[in-house]
Amino acid sequence: MSLSADLKKQILQNIDRITGKGAEYTDARYYTNDDSETLFLYDGNLEANDTNFESGLGVRVLFGGAWGFAATSDAKMTDACFDQALQNAITAAKLVRVPLHMSKKPGHTGHFASPLKQDPFTVPLKEKLDFLSAIDARLKEDWIFKRYVYAEFQKKNIFFFNSEGTEVERNLNNVFAKMMVMALDTDGQMQRRSQELFTTGKGTRGYEMLTQPELFSTHAERIKDELSQLINAEALEYGKRSVILLPGQGFLQVHETIGHPLELDRILGYELSYAGGSFVDLDSFGKLRYGSDKLSVSAFGSIENSPGSYGYDDEGTPERDYLLIDKGLLVNALSSRPMIAEANQKAGRTVFSESGGAARATAFYRAPIDRMTNVNILPGNDGTLEDIIASTKDGVVLDNPVSWSIGSNREHFHFSTEIAWEVKDGKKTRILRNPSYQGHTVEFYNSLSAVGDASTWRVWQVDNCGKGEPNQIMQLGHGIPVVRFDNVITGERK
Amino acid sequence: MQKNTAHEIICAVRARAAARGINASFSLHREMSHLMRIGNNSVSLNTSENLTRLDIEVINGRRTGSHTQMGDVTTEEYVEKALQVAIDKAEVASPKDYQPISVVVEATVAENAQYDQTLEHLDPAFKADAYQQIIDNVGESYNFSGSWSSGSMELFLVSTANENTMHHLATDQDFNVVLKHPQKKWELRQWQSGWRLDHFDVDAVIDGFRQLLPTYENHDGCKLEPGEYRVALGSQALAEVLMMACYTGLFGRSYEEKQGWTAKSKLGDKILGENITLTDDPCEDKTFRFGFDMAGKVRGNFPLVKNGAMMNLMYDTMTAAKYGRQPTGHTGGSASVVMQPGSASPDMLEALKGMGKVIYIPALHYLNIPNPSQGVFTGSSRFNAVLIENGKVVSPIFSSRVTDSFQNVFGNVSLISSEAESVNLSNTYGRRSPEAASMPSYIVADKVKITDSADSF
Repeated sequence: MSLSADLKKQILQNIDRITGKGAEYTDARYYTNDDSETLFLYDGNLEANDTNFESGLGVRVLFGGAWGFAATSDAKMTDACFDQALQNAITAAKLVRVPLHMSKKPGHTGHFASPLKQDPFTVPLKEKLDFLSAIDARLKEDWIFKRYVYAEFQKKNIFFFNSEGTEVERNLNNVFAKMMVMALDTDGQMQRRSQELFTTGKGTRGYEMLTQPELFSTHAERIKDELSQLINAEALEYGKRSVILLPGQGFLQVHETIGHPLELDRILGYELSYAGGSFVDLDSFGKLRYGSDKLSVSAFGSIENSPGSYGYDDEGTPERDYLLIDKGLLVNALSSRPMIAEANQKAGRTVFSESGGAARATAFYRAPIDRMTNVNILPGNDGTLEDIIASTKDGVVLDNPVSWSIGSNREHFHFSTEIAWEVKDGKKTRILRNPSYQGHTVEFYNSLSAVGDASTWRVWQVDNCGKGEPNQIMQLGHGIPVVRFDNVITGERK
Repeated sequence: MQKNTAHEIICAVRARAAARGINASFSLHREMSHLMRIGNNSVSLNTSENLTRLDIEVINGRRTGSHTQMGDVTTEEYVEKALQVAIDKAEVASPKDYQPISVVVEATVAENAQYDQTLEHLDPAFKADAYQQIIDNVGESYNFSGSWSSGSMELFLVSTANENTMHHLATDQDFNVVLKHPQKKWELRQWQSGWRLDHFDVDAVIDGFRQLLPTYENHDGCKLEPGEYRVALGSQALAEVLMMACYTGLFGRSYEEKQGWTAKSKLGDKILGENITLTDDPCEDKTFRFGFDMAGKVRGNFPLVKNGAMMNLMYDTMTAAKYGRQPTGHTGGSASVVMQPGSASPDMLEALKGMGKVIYIPALHYLNIPNPSQGVFTGSSRFNAVLIENGKVVSPIFSSRVTDSFQNVFGNVSLISSEAESVNLSNTYGRRSPEAASMPSYIVADKVKITDSADSF
């Protein structure tokens, strides 16, 4: 959906008007449409058959070293929305001890569209329901107590303008899907196995991604088979051992204990009252051994088809491909323009040379904050999953999160997963239920002893990353190989 | 807030839809939201959002479809168009194997008992001035951050089942400020909640910090070794854990599907300690009162746990329809969970005299449920957590992880404060939907499992 010439003219005139009133910087994002559709089949019943259509304007003004933001879903209120954002900035500027600034950038124009062959919103509803119902039928068994399969489609057309003359249009599409089966174990407790739609990092991300069997539907039989073993399995005993994380669990480990602690706004203390801080500080960059030398972590990673690949961020900065951790050494952060300006000023040196292109907002009615893009562990040289298992004396292979709880500075964590496979003397032996593990972030990543090769690397999609006040849900991705950590506390102490 | 016109438009479309035999419900959600964020002793963001959403659900036999449209409701055509989207979706939907329960607005309700126009239209400068006072009075050598959300929310609900209307207009605020020592890294927090502007008291915030600071300035923190401890949970930690316990154990969905920790119990069974009584009470002023749910059911006092025994389960319409139960007024909307206070002194330190070593955890960070069937939760201490010995604060503690079960913690409660506090549980994801619980200011539980601790602040 295109932006009308009249509305574009009105927005540009307002940016000039607000700049004329003394604003250091102004930007506006107009969403002509922000559409989503959710289809949820639970035990074969269509429990969610929902669409949500949003459109509106968000305006951000930097005045006197402080941000003001305003948003409206009523196009008639465009002028008033700019005035409100300016007034909010003027009020905010009354309490400024550390003035915020935008590093100077020349204006530019740009366009990005998620690669896709078939727009999910053009696929007839019946066709989508038939597809999900076919998967549901494959999941159904007498012994399976509960089952679900769902898909969510998102489509956003965003027009960005700022007072530097930048104009960027983006057409973003996301497809998420998940299936799960649940059954009661021998103690009458619920166990589950699930599979989410993932990508290989290459290709398109329209409806055709969902219907590629190897990325989703073909896993129905595997998760049923694993669940059938899980419900008769013994529980994982407490103890220290190696943990081998498959990408379905490794993505969340990286998300919570590398991604979030490396968001620069967290590092600078802007999330303290809600999401928390970070054990990383500005002196950590170039010095902190975050992990073993097997750990290299990138942002974006030039992944073609992830929700964390969006072309330009919500400040109009092109998305960048760069290293966050290089062979264990912390070298960079996920950042935006005002945060790097503040960090460099605070440090008294250039810690960050340019924005990480990671200023993202969940909707027109939220201001951008520092978010993850794609945060990826680069593939290693330790072979396949089988190779890593073969070199493991005592461990467990873990997959898919059940729960996650992380310390407020991301310094420690506790995860539980759906399933564990015991590894003894280089062989996978049996399935174990109720697995969990915990650790301290830096110690944990320094125990990284094996990183799988490119054949083990998968891009896991995240549709529900929460952060910020007002709260924002963000979509992103993680490219993760199979990884092994040693000497980890697993299971629960009796 | 704009009034009447949108309501009249929706009612006109509702009437026409009813005449056509369409089974539909319409809800209008309007919010005026404001939030000020503080970071590094400055206002880091000052936002205003005026948003309107129209939700429409259509039931066509056993088929359902729903649609949400954001934008001002100014014409009947706008509502008709959104209704048609939902009709079309229901037409194509696969039928359920049970009959969905229609939204029936039980009675005409208009509630605004918790509405404060002053708070709704609060000048953000008031918030900036308050933060300024806090920084100036407590000391700008500390690093202050925080957020203060305030605003109003209006909900208007009708359905084609009858001509009744339900209208809710309310204001709410959620204030937080965090003080961090720039070198020693410890963090303290003060928070306030309410629906009127005068529920905010800046002097109480300043006094709260002043009482806590000597403990932190004059003592190094201590690391707790894993083990069982006597723990005092503050009202916020208590609310967080109890709400998790409710979600996983006292909602009909988790119970019917044997996913929660109460799955093997039946109504009347003891599931928690004798001294634990919980209700969902939308008449309690310490919660954000919501007199009806999104299915049009009038809500009232609803016992959940009495003296440790499970009394009722909360059913939404979908779960009720699927399992042949009656909806209980818990379809969407906000619950008003109340834990009955006890008899212990509101002065916690006074109450803890003679009780030896007690870990005080006012709030838990990032709570989650590793094993819903066993009722196991985990989360870590954060702000204001201290070690107390015989009623005297000994030392702050480093971030410590509690991993235990609802049954164990609420089966071993030895003290319950006689004073209740309002705990704001709202989040601002998506639409404004204020929620609060009324909790004793603290409880003391024995044999609580601490399973890990950070090595420093």
